[in-house]
Amino acid sequence: MTRGTVRAFVVGTMMVGTLLAETHKEFRYNVGARAGISVNNTYGSISVKPSSGNVVIVNAVLHSNDVEVDGTQNGNRVNIESHLHPGATAESGRVDYELLVPADASVMLHSSTGPLRAEKLHGDVTLEGSNASVDVRDISDAHVHVKTLNGPVTLSNVRDGHVEVDSLSGDVTLNGVTGQFVQVMSTSGKINYIGDFGNSGEYRLTSHSGDIEAIIPETTSADVSARSVRGQVQDEVPLQPKSHDWFYLKQGSAFAGTVGKAASSVVLRTFSGKIHLKKRQNKDKTK
Amino acid sequence: MNCVELQQSLAENEGANNWEQQAHLRSCPACAALVKELSVIIAAAPRLLEDEEPSPRVWNSIEATLRAEGLIRPQRIHRPLIPSFSERWGMARWLVPAAATLLVLVGVFVNQRSLPTKVSELREPVSVASTIPTGLNDNDLLQEIANQSPELRQQYEENLRHVNEYIEDALRNVQANPGDEEARRSLDEAFQEKAMLFDLAMDRSLQ
Repeated sequence: MTRGTVRAFVVGTMMVGTLLAETHKEFRYNVGARAGISVNNTYGSISVKPSSGNVVIVNAVLHSNDVEVDGTQNGNRVNIESHLHPGATAESGRVDYELLVPADASVMLHSSTGPLRAEKLHGDVTLEGSNASVDVRDISDAHVHVKTLNGPVTLSNVRDGHVEVDSLSGDVTLNGVTGQFVQVMSTSGKINYIGDFGNSGEYRLTSHSGDIEAIIPETTSADVSARSVRGQVQDEVPLQPKSHDWFYLKQGSAFAGTVGKAASSVVLRTFSGKIHLKKRQNKDKTK
Repeated sequence: MNCVELQQSLAENEGANNWEQQAHLRSCPACAALVKELSVIIAAAPRLLEDEEPSPRVWNSIEATLRAEGLIRPQRIHRPLIPSFSERWGMARWLVPAAATLLVLVGVFVNQRSLPTKVSELREPVSVASTIPTGLNDNDLLQEIANQSPELRQQYEENLRHVNEYIEDALRNVQANPGDEEARRSLDEAFQEKAMLFDLAMDRSLQ
């Protein structure tokens, strides 16, 4: 037997061992309208998509016997939880979930490592994870709450939402996100907003040391106020000056004004980051 | 769950993390604001302990009396997030319902606009740099992380450093502009960031 054959045999054995250690589990629950779905996963991904009908289908891939999955239903509420056994590590305790839920369900997802993903829902969505990357897309008429420490957050095509994103050091990107209340808070992460700030609502993007960039189309209708305590601001959009600004507009560190009919209120704040308001070019068009 | 039930659940449990509480908080700005205030108090509570921590005997006696009176029940069984951390913060958690009651009674919550100013007035004579970074028992958190998940320690140190700088900057801003509502809001947000850091550290990262 050649050395290459031995190596292939060893690698093959390890792969088979890994596959054998993986366990697939499926749970199904019948629920009513506006069900509540909660998934608490210490390590691993959670992905949620809409199902057809009032059924919740949970597919879980357990990476070892160091972890088990419990599912319970109480009325219209479904709870899925990963339980680690003593000695479980981030790898052996990993469970990857894929859920299909009714589109009107409210979803709460927790995972330290993530990634977390939710799409095409119109119930409330709450995602939380220390290092988890978060991807939320195609959500409408819903509350979207996201909390991460380091994980990057991307929200795309979230319409008429009540959006609250808090990421300590992860970068946050909002692409086509509108609603009556859109708030992003960060300590050191960058914040990127691409879109038109809707036709009403309050938008507040704040970071301590992260840069804030907003790229808006010509059709935007917003009342914009931007200030960086120690950083620089740059405005490439011709804003109409307001008759009265309630804070002193120090040249280079603050600007304010309106664009269009000023339908939405936009507040951009940072202490030491830069603020950049840009007009969207054709190549930037995302919607 | 209505507002009264939520406040009862806050007093009986240790936070607003269950499904019903979260659902109510999403629909009730008043309760959401209350919980936000409580988060700040929770974050500041360890400092109170450091300053004037009564003897453990006092707390034990209060707890025993409350149990005997049937005013509190044993905690429901749940997975300990960070056992030793929870023990260390146990006293601080007692302050939460008490602080909530006080807040409601004295109307601080209703007049919260004036609260940050008062906070800044109280803190003016104290060195921000010496108070804030150590005020929330950062070292305890880092020690627990080092014990439970040493690979995360550097990451948390970095995050703590950033958020402490945020709080210091925000405090300086409030002190420099005591009438500036925006400055007070920034301070509130900075504390929220730190509360979130501790919250996520305790709830998720170190399991």
